[in-house]
Amino acid sequence: MADFTTKELMACIMGRDLEDGLGVPVGANLPVPRAAVLMSHLMRGPNQLVLLSWTRANLVDVPELRPFEFITDWRAAQWGESYWAHDDGFLNMKARANWIFFVGGIQIDQYGNSNLLGIGEDYKRLKFRGPGGVGTGNMAAFTNRYYLYSQTHTPRIFVPKVDYVTALGWGEGPGTRERWKIPGGGPRYCYTPLCVMDFEPETKRMRLKSTNPGVSVDEVVAATGFELVVPDDVPETPAPSDEELEVLRTRVDPTGVLRS
Amino acid sequence: MSTVTSSDRTVVVTDEPSALAGLQDGMTVAIGGFANSGHPMSLVREVIRRRPKDLTIVGAATSGLEVDMLIAAGCVKKVISPYVGGETIVGIGPAFRRCVENGEIDVWEIDEAMYYCALNAAAQRLPFLPWRALVGTSFPEVNPDLVLFDDPVAGEPLLAVPAVSPDIALLHAGAADPYGNIQHVGSGFGDRAIARASDHVIVSVEKVISNEELRRAPEKTSIPLVDAVVRAPFGAHPFSSVGWYLEDVPLLKEYVAAAEVWRAHDDRSAVDAFLDTYIHQPEDHMDYLQRIGARRIFGLNEF
Repeated sequence: MADFTTKELMACIMGRDLEDGLGVPVGANLPVPRAAVLMSHLMRGPNQLVLLSWTRANLVDVPELRPFEFITDWRAAQWGESYWAHDDGFLNMKARANWIFFVGGIQIDQYGNSNLLGIGEDYKRLKFRGPGGVGTGNMAAFTNRYYLYSQTHTPRIFVPKVDYVTALGWGEGPGTRERWKIPGGGPRYCYTPLCVMDFEPETKRMRLKSTNPGVSVDEVVAATGFELVVPDDVPETPAPSDEELEVLRTRVDPTGVLRS
Repeated sequence: MSTVTSSDRTVVVTDEPSALAGLQDGMTVAIGGFANSGHPMSLVREVIRRRPKDLTIVGAATSGLEVDMLIAAGCVKKVISPYVGGETIVGIGPAFRRCVENGEIDVWEIDEAMYYCALNAAAQRLPFLPWRALVGTSFPEVNPDLVLFDDPVAGEPLLAVPAVSPDIALLHAGAADPYGNIQHVGSGFGDRAIARASDHVIVSVEKVISNEELRRAPEKTSIPLVDAVVRAPFGAHPFSSVGWYLEDVPLLKEYVAAAEVWRAHDDRSAVDAFLDTYIHQPEDHMDYLQRIGARRIFGLNEF
């Protein structure tokens, strides 16, 4: 088996779930989701709508995609088929049903609700002010499915209940999204350096789906601050293939951001 | 018979102090651009030089350290923006974080979709616009101005987002003609939405071009007939200006390091020194550019 880093593994696993035809925003400063999206596009997604730095970009023939540090980098215009003004984007929520999105959090709870606003019960005196929800709550409401993603898996992040909900996951469990008439389909998986989690269909509670190579079930349970649903049989997350690693290292991440 | 010609048309090109002569304490001021790009910094620096108090700052849908600098300079009472930070340079603006955690400034909490609802409502002269997403989240709790209601047509739960109508909008673009027709390079981010919602629109540009030159490509005119145009080459510095130059990352990091000392140690000496050196001491935009230096400025070209 080839050597690979945890970030490379995550990018490959996350990319495998993205089929052709989706709308796939390419963020600038989340290197793992960026790589996942570009891998799915280059390997089997020629008809994906690739949203990169304010353009809809044609990247399938580009030999090497060096990362941009900032989301506004207009050098992406060299691949752009069209551009979009930010406010125009919000005139078309129909199109977003078919997009996917990765949502992070300073807290994520057992129902997949995420918090980017802050930590602390008194909103007027937060112990930590987070970056804010930005666009995550909107994407969580309109996409047919979205993904949670955290580069850290600790009990401080994976909490029983978030202090503030900035992107609504499964709310308080079954029925919450229906009650609020939310059109989108909710979070599908949650990816961390330790494991992949999904949601138990009946309870909407987060459930261990697979553990990453070298990680035990007990380690995941200890790193999770709520009672994780653990099935009797937990497989290991499948390793990247040689072909995936080649595309990743030669075309998507040639500078080795995910190897460091 | 008496008629008029183009030469009778009002030229709106001016400089930063004249453009901002009407700025008063307590005004609502919107600032365009996005993240680390396209902020009208020669105008922002002039705002700070005038030492206004209690401004409500409407940042971009993703605003950057320009809002943080206004907070650090003591000009801000309230921020309306879904994000204040510097991407990989700093996740959360240090002055923003400090002042929110200490309760020294208010934040009108919204996400980026609600941000455009608020501006579009103002432009359409509506008291509010509804939005479907974000019901069920904490936004209505932390921003009581957002009203959850059942829509009168289908009876579904929606959020009413009140209009936000800036007194002044400050934007930056590539070019303008003397009459105030603006041409952005690229998308212009959310600048059009800000312009539509605002009472008075001031745009700094890299270059003033003739009306004849502008009319070669009228489809590129992104905002027609603004109130004032300020000729400010490298006017977005230290941020990038799309199609013109890249970010001056070391200078942005210098600001962050200084503001971070204030946030973490309650010591303003470094951030005050930064504001003095780069904002209060330079007499005008040209003096600022001279301080930055020609080599550094011209080293920021895109390719």
